Amino acid sequence: MNRLIQLELIRESLVAVVNEIRANIIHSSYAAIIYEGHDFSCALMSADGRQVAQGLADHPIHIFAVPYSTREVVKAFKDDIHEGDLFLHNDPYTGGTHLNDVLLLHPVFHDGKLALFAAMRCHWNDVGGMTPGSLSGRVKEIYQEGIRITPTRICEKGVMNQAVLDALFNNMRGPEERIGDFNAMLGTGRKAEEHLQRLFQRFGGDGLLDGVEALIDRSERQMRSRISECPDGDYYAEGYIESDGSNPEPLVVRLKLTVEGDSINADFTGTSAQTNGPTNCGPAMAFNAVGTIVKAFLDPKTPINNGSFNPISVTAPEKSFINARETAPCGGMAEVKFLIDSVVAAAMGQVVPEMSVGDLKGGANHIHIAGPRDDGGTYIHYEWPAGGTGASAGVDGSNAVRSYNEGDFNSIQSVEMVESQYPLRVERCEIRTGACGDGANRGGFGLRRELRVLDETAMLSVLSEKNVIPPYGVAGGSNGAANRFVVERDGEVIQPSDVPGKVSGFALGTGDIVREETAGGGGYGDPLMRDPQMVADDVALEYLTADQAETRYGVVLGSDGSVDVAATASKRDALAGARETVTLEIANEDDIEGPRRRIAIPSKLAGNLNISEGDLVELRGKAVAPLRGWARLSDGSDAVISIGPAGMRLLNADPGDAIEIRAVQAAPAGVLS
Amino acid sequence: MTDSSQRYLVGIDVGGTFTDILCLDIENQSLLSAKTPSLPGKQWEGVLNALGELGIAPGDIRAFVHGTTIATNALLERKGAKTAMITTEGFRDTLEIGRTRRLIGGLFDIKFVRPKPLVDRPLRIEVPERTAADGEVLNEIADYDFGPLADRLKGEGVEAVAIGFVNAYANDKTERDAAAALGALMDGVPVCHSTDVVAEQGEFHRFSTCVLNAYLTPVVIKYLETLAGELEDKGVKAPVNIMGSNGGAMTLPQAAKFAAGTFLSGPVGGVGGAVRICEMADVQDCITFDMGGTSTDVALIYQRTPRISHDNQIDAYPLQVPQLDIHTIGAGGGSIAWVQEDGTLEVGPQSAGALPGPACYGRGGTEPTISDANLVLGRLPTERTLSGGLQLDKAASEAAFTSLAEKLGGGDIVPLADGVLRMAVAKMAGAVREVSVHRGFDPRDFALLGFGGAGPMHVFLVAEELAVPQVIVPRYPGHLSALGQLLADQRLDSVRAWGGKLSALDPADIKDPANEMKSEASKTLSDAGFGPDKQTHTFTVDMRYVGQSYTLAVPLDENASDWDAVRDAFAQRHTETFGHADANNDAEIVNIRLVSLGIVDKPTLAFNSGDGKDLIVVERKVWFGDDWTDCPIYNRDRMEAGFELVGPAIIEEAGGTSIVPPGWKITVLDAGSLDCRNPQVST
Repeated sequence: MNRLIQLELIRESLVAVVNEIRANIIHSSYAAIIYEGHDFSCALMSADGRQVAQGLADHPIHIFAVPYSTREVVKAFKDDIHEGDLFLHNDPYTGGTHLNDVLLLHPVFHDGKLALFAAMRCHWNDVGGMTPGSLSGRVKEIYQEGIRITPTRICEKGVMNQAVLDALFNNMRGPEERIGDFNAMLGTGRKAEEHLQRLFQRFGGDGLLDGVEALIDRSERQMRSRISECPDGDYYAEGYIESDGSNPEPLVVRLKLTVEGDSINADFTGTSAQTNGPTNCGPAMAFNAVGTIVKAFLDPKTPINNGSFNPISVTAPEKSFINARETAPCGGMAEVKFLIDSVVAAAMGQVVPEMSVGDLKGGANHIHIAGPRDDGGTYIHYEWPAGGTGASAGVDGSNAVRSYNEGDFNSIQSVEMVESQYPLRVERCEIRTGACGDGANRGGFGLRRELRVLDETAMLSVLSEKNVIPPYGVAGGSNGAANRFVVERDGEVIQPSDVPGKVSGFALGTGDIVREETAGGGGYGDPLMRDPQMVADDVALEYLTADQAETRYGVVLGSDGSVDVAATASKRDALAGARETVTLEIANEDDIEGPRRRIAIPSKLAGNLNISEGDLVELRGKAVAPLRGWARLSDGSDAVISIGPAGMRLLNADPGDAIEIRAVQAAPAGVLS
Repeated sequence: MTDSSQRYLVGIDVGGTFTDILCLDIENQSLLSAKTPSLPGKQWEGVLNALGELGIAPGDIRAFVHGTTIATNALLERKGAKTAMITTEGFRDTLEIGRTRRLIGGLFDIKFVRPKPLVDRPLRIEVPERTAADGEVLNEIADYDFGPLADRLKGEGVEAVAIGFVNAYANDKTERDAAAALGALMDGVPVCHSTDVVAEQGEFHRFSTCVLNAYLTPVVIKYLETLAGELEDKGVKAPVNIMGSNGGAMTLPQAAKFAAGTFLSGPVGGVGGAVRICEMADVQDCITFDMGGTSTDVALIYQRTPRISHDNQIDAYPLQVPQLDIHTIGAGGGSIAWVQEDGTLEVGPQSAGALPGPACYGRGGTEPTISDANLVLGRLPTERTLSGGLQLDKAASEAAFTSLAEKLGGGDIVPLADGVLRMAVAKMAGAVREVSVHRGFDPRDFALLGFGGAGPMHVFLVAEELAVPQVIVPRYPGHLSALGQLLADQRLDSVRAWGGKLSALDPADIKDPANEMKSEASKTLSDAGFGPDKQTHTFTVDMRYVGQSYTLAVPLDENASDWDAVRDAFAQRHTETFGHADANNDAEIVNIRLVSLGIVDKPTLAFNSGDGKDLIVVERKVWFGDDWTDCPIYNRDRMEAGFELVGPAIIEEAGGTSIVPPGWKITVLDAGSLDCRNPQVST
């Protein structure tokens, strides 16, 4: 009994330490991206690099990669770690995220033995490389993204290695700010040490560390018991990175997720090879994604530590773009990580259908607007607008807000802050109405934001995903509108790049408007099953027009805004009748062309769907997420579609099944302007 | 004019469970008190009952100060006014989008639902207006015809209007024009505009604050008018003031204009009372520990000044008005211990409240609460009734804990009750760390001041948990909030966005805005009856290094001829707070702030009435962590100044029970407080 209580005290104390060091980072850092954007995370690690505690505001994208980095440090320095040592790390190939995220590990000793690490990973505004801010859609190798720090001892027994630090800071833009943030991390490590020493005093060295083990063990048992409740089996999903920024072809992630007893393996065999564009990530990220999503689906509430992830294993082909090696750039790792999240969520939706959830907005949506400052320097305005969140059973998605797989960051700057600091005017920042994924529960709406350039010149860079392939709906729900980043010049909409969502240094002039339209969350369930009153409410609240209610939900409203029950019933019948159904037959092998899945569409059906060669279509089997492919027009008038064995598995369907086929549109009709 | 027969200062604190009234008789410095049940939905009736219970002539009341939870409750229950928001074209959704943060958890929560804004989309209405960041009006609103808009709002039954325009912090001309034009057409529906409530940069926080203010204004006005009317009917001639979140009292007209400033009206009284106790007990720095039935409020007082926080949040709604930095957690005497799905033990935040209340109240509660844990451990009496006539039922507490132990696989209930108590203490210690460690203070440098119904029972354990060597328990700990209220000064906070880089600012230019702010505040205080000799005005400026975002407040002498003092003070504060100053970087001023006080005379309170006889009432066995110990129970009313004792001891008085663990040394101070030291912790 007392042991149980002791354990709760240790758990609360450890989380309190993390929360305390978080506060310290916020209040003492120098760069706005940290103190305003909160683009940093903190955690405690065991001496062998297992995660011990994190806070609820910390971002999984940072934290779940820290154990990997810590183990690399432990592997590199083994018994040669001493009191007063400090380690720095950002190398994606050994557990880093992208080079901007710099990890400081502060070893904490008890009784002369290494006991724990305090870990702080902060986004540094610039770590050198080709462009200010270090992130660019046009890099070819990692050297262009800044300075790479493999596990490095920057302080030995209390003595700073100034030569190393000089070499680092001399290769970064705005070194004063970088040094300020580094100092904030140093101070925070000292604070963490103080707090932890107090805990050692209170619980005893063995008491605390035994408690840590017991907590990890408890989280592991909890996760194993949750996995055991899931049906054993193989579950399949796939998804695409639209472009690496320079090549026209997409990249594919293929997943076979196996539930066996009390463990889960995620096998990514078949995933595209690494690319020379920025859309790669290192070996820590696939595990990071699987851990994030499995945790959310199965055990969201248990305290976060390594135990939750012990039952999970990941097989990711080396030198694939989700397990990249030298010299693949990794600046776009967030886009990749979020794609893996979305693929794993599609598979987990089959494991636990009641938790299945419409797809996310895409990746981080990095937007940079940069231009000359009066003093000769360069201003960089950076924001990463959120989109709508996915719907799930009984719950509509939320509008323009961080999703369940993200820490709680600000991602757009205050209009008044932007306008007072940069030669920009924000003309609007509003809900992107109508752009949700429809469903019995609909996805959330993204946002529409317009920034007008006031100076003569400026440059626009965008690194984003899901501009072409929109967020999927689940269980019959529709896809959300895709992200869209365009420029409006003299009233005309122009594309700042031939690859949507990947813009590098597009030249802007006075009066140009940068328009950001972010993705809506995917819907859940058949929109024709949505409670008509909820649709009427959406119209009353001006999220949907009456026309959208009718054409997309089959809900007909009277002039007073109330539901016309009879007209709705017949409209819904008509819409259901107008859907295209096809019969599946098995093909010997899947129709794969490069990374793309192709689906042969008889020409008559293509006409009905109003699609052309190469357009995106989706099939809806028993799997919660749709199977997507690019149309290959074929002869014939029968509504029969041949699908290979892998496609059948992805659909969770059998030959002879009659299922729905849809054209995939970047946005519902009438939403784009 | 004060009538000489007006001899009573009255403070009334409405809590979740009880309405507590305290009355100071100025003539003989004596205190009268009463407690009556709070009446949800009819707070004013509870206030009248409490006043009746006291039995003083209403006409003899000189001042009447009241702490109310009316604004907080209206928001928590979403029972505010139907509110419309008028804003700049392109920004009707600012209230909904915010900065895209969830603001209330949600990590890993697939089913997370963002709280709805207080104003629905159709009532967030754009008007053709625009001001640039430098204050230039790009698009005037003065000639806009508000008639159709006003008709629409009235037609929809709108009860309050908030106006928030982008960049109004830089120039609020269009906001003021719109408020005047629309206000004239709205038939008395309150219209407020953002800079009237907060004048700082950051549209989301400013709009959110303005909307909260509008949303609550009709509720607060209605409550105050009802209360004032009823009090007048009873013959109360004194003005009715209510506590503001900033710790000062407000007149009714002030509160009616600034409802968003009353969120902490309830708990601030205790902090004010604590300052008075510090003065009387000669303590400089303390952390208040105000524990009631459902929650515990904690605040840090440094150099006898409570800390003020400017960026606050209620639920998921930012509220940018100066509030005492009070941290509240859902752990009180009624908090329930329970077993989570995964088999782990948790305490709170669910509370048994007043009804059914803890199992030991014998009113139908069966869940084990903190109070039950105290009873199982012998820390509360079973042989006598509590003040208020409650007879505790130990068997019911034991039954509740037996059932909890079974859910955990069996075992002795005494160590379990002790563990539950310690878990609650850990949470409360976390709250103390939140207001101290997180703000850069070491709690061991502070005295813990325990009050509220359950504070003195738990404050010693919290002190031990944090290695805090000193605890103060004030006389009448259950009434300290009401005491703070009746002694509260009036307080006005003003802020104006003004500034620039120090290198480019002329010190002479600050005089005009500063003097304007001061004369406005001075007039308000004069209107409330405070002559020039009863007013103080203190300026600060919010500063940061160019390029930074967080600001620090630095004292300002508005008549200084250069910026040297300001620059040095800023560098010093920056070093203290963040560990370094940046001598190479230019500093800038962002806001001017003014705190204006109307000073209320503070009488000396004579709190020791005892004769030193029959101190020990009884002895019983009490569990102190590892074993049962024979523990004397003292009657505090009998104690004289200078009396000393060493724990273990339990000290009972009306409205509070101090449970002193073994080893603590207690001295009764002249001013009545118990000064408690733990010799096992070095100072």
